[in-house]
Amino acid sequence: MGLMKREEWQGLAGDVEWTLRYVDDEAVFPEWQCGTGKIPREAWAGWHEAYKMTYAEYVATQSEKEASAYSVKAAIQRSTIADSLDEGWKSSAKLHYGATALAEYAAALAELRMARFGLSPRWRNMAVLGCLDEIRHTQMALYFAHEFVAKDAQFDWAQRAYHTNDWAIVAARGLFDGLMFSSNVVDLALGLPLTFESGFTNLQFVALSADALAAGDVNFANLISSIQTDEARHAQQGGPTLELLVKHDPIRAQWVVDKSFWLSARLFAILSGPSMDYYTPLAHRRHSYKEFMQEWIMTQYMRMLKEYGLKKPWYWDEFIEGLDVWHHGLHLGVWFWRPTVWWKPQAGVSRAERIWLQSKYPAWEELYGPIWDVITDNLRRGKEEDTLPATLPWLCNLCQLPICTMSKSANGKWSVKDFSLDHNDYTYHFCSRVCRQIWWEDRDSMHLETVVERLLAGEIQPADLGGALAWMGITPDVAGDDAYGYRWAKSGGGAAAAPGRGVR
Amino acid sequence: MSLVSSEPRAIPINALFGGDFVTLLVVVLSTDTMADVGRKVAANVVGKRVAPRRADMAVYYRDELVPSDRTVAQAGIAPLQFVLVDYVDD
Repeated sequence: MGLMKREEWQGLAGDVEWTLRYVDDEAVFPEWQCGTGKIPREAWAGWHEAYKMTYAEYVATQSEKEASAYSVKAAIQRSTIADSLDEGWKSSAKLHYGATALAEYAAALAELRMARFGLSPRWRNMAVLGCLDEIRHTQMALYFAHEFVAKDAQFDWAQRAYHTNDWAIVAARGLFDGLMFSSNVVDLALGLPLTFESGFTNLQFVALSADALAAGDVNFANLISSIQTDEARHAQQGGPTLELLVKHDPIRAQWVVDKSFWLSARLFAILSGPSMDYYTPLAHRRHSYKEFMQEWIMTQYMRMLKEYGLKKPWYWDEFIEGLDVWHHGLHLGVWFWRPTVWWKPQAGVSRAERIWLQSKYPAWEELYGPIWDVITDNLRRGKEEDTLPATLPWLCNLCQLPICTMSKSANGKWSVKDFSLDHNDYTYHFCSRVCRQIWWEDRDSMHLETVVERLLAGEIQPADLGGALAWMGITPDVAGDDAYGYRWAKSGGGAAAAPGRGVR
Repeated sequence: MSLVSSEPRAIPINALFGGDFVTLLVVVLSTDTMADVGRKVAANVVGKRVAPRRADMAVYYRDELVPSDRTVAQAGIAPLQFVLVDYVDD
């Protein structure tokens, strides 16, 4: 008997639902998980995936992808390419592996939530394939990173990172928990597939893949390109879900999409920003992080908002201003607090690099030049101890990142601003007006104690930087250091990029 | 009974030094004067990320300049509050 063509049966199969007779619908599809809200139950029959695929097709396609990705890896493993990779670039890979490998596994669980509680059988089927995707991504990231563990213990953080309380991981975990686990599956579909995956993984997986190829890291480019082909498919669960929510509850749709976009942008500012503008060797940088964001994120995101009838987010001006400052401050923070991370941040402020930064970000020298001047000067004088931290940066109560966002006052002066909020006799601090507002609206699902708050509460002993490092799981063999051993400072880097500025 | 205890208490504050790029956890004492607070915050920043200057420092709390001889307790600076320290322009 010949197989029926997919078109002859998939439409019918996609609508198959259980008729519940022994339990209440609410018991099987509780509202707190399903989150249908104002969307009538019958409206879910109109949920249609843009990208149709059967399980047989899925297995065949994935098998080919696996064969391709692993054969490239096997070939590269026999070469000496990995040994010649730039130390700064390797840190991009270490940061990526640590921040994403087990986040992919968390995403598998999130896909399972949609596969169980999505109110459309088509959606549930698509989410099953999405779950298989995410398991594949976890396995690939762990396997690809494992190759380097014997040579460099920092690569072991592909597996370890999410089992620690490292501050960067606490920030990532806060975002992912908020998007994937403390929300119902409708909000999850808008936060994860629609915003994080459709909107932002292009940046990390496509743009970073281009940088990886340019830097000679064929294996890493091969890995993340293979992953992105899956992301592009399962990310499409977001569109039909948003379409229904916009139709029946546009205010909620706007809020969830706006919130998810902001939180994702904050995380990518530390995940992708330093990699693109500082860790990638200058000769291999094709575009700045800001240019990538403008090309890959803003254009596409604005088109998506228009397509679904949503408005521009209320914070758009702050987001645009942030493209010039967020990741520069975060990079400076990561570099100065380098013993607290599992990679070796490349300072990226040699003379030539500062000229490049100034050409891409016209306010860079004014905002960050004087600070790097002092650091560079200390290194030249052999005062490394003055380039290392003695306390912790204060962390935002929403995004969990250091409060280091420069903004311009009415008088034209740039400075860091603290946005505080008194609630129940406690003062919370935020990096921005937007983080403060999101926390206030969604504090029941987004609240997480910061590392600083845990230190002050006595959870970290001894309550000093050394105690914090131990509590974060940072051991001497993985504690970050400058990628180039400060040679950028000693060999005439820094300071001279701006006319008239010199090291004192 | 005085509302302002003479016993020193540790007060963790969220501090920014003018010209720096990040706010910091700094622990001061309730008996510290604003001059002490300025020095404790500056110790984490000046000469490390902000160039030293031959100028006085001032402490601002809730956007108001606090006199340098006033203590943390007298200024009403409670734990977790934001404090700005900066050089005073001539």
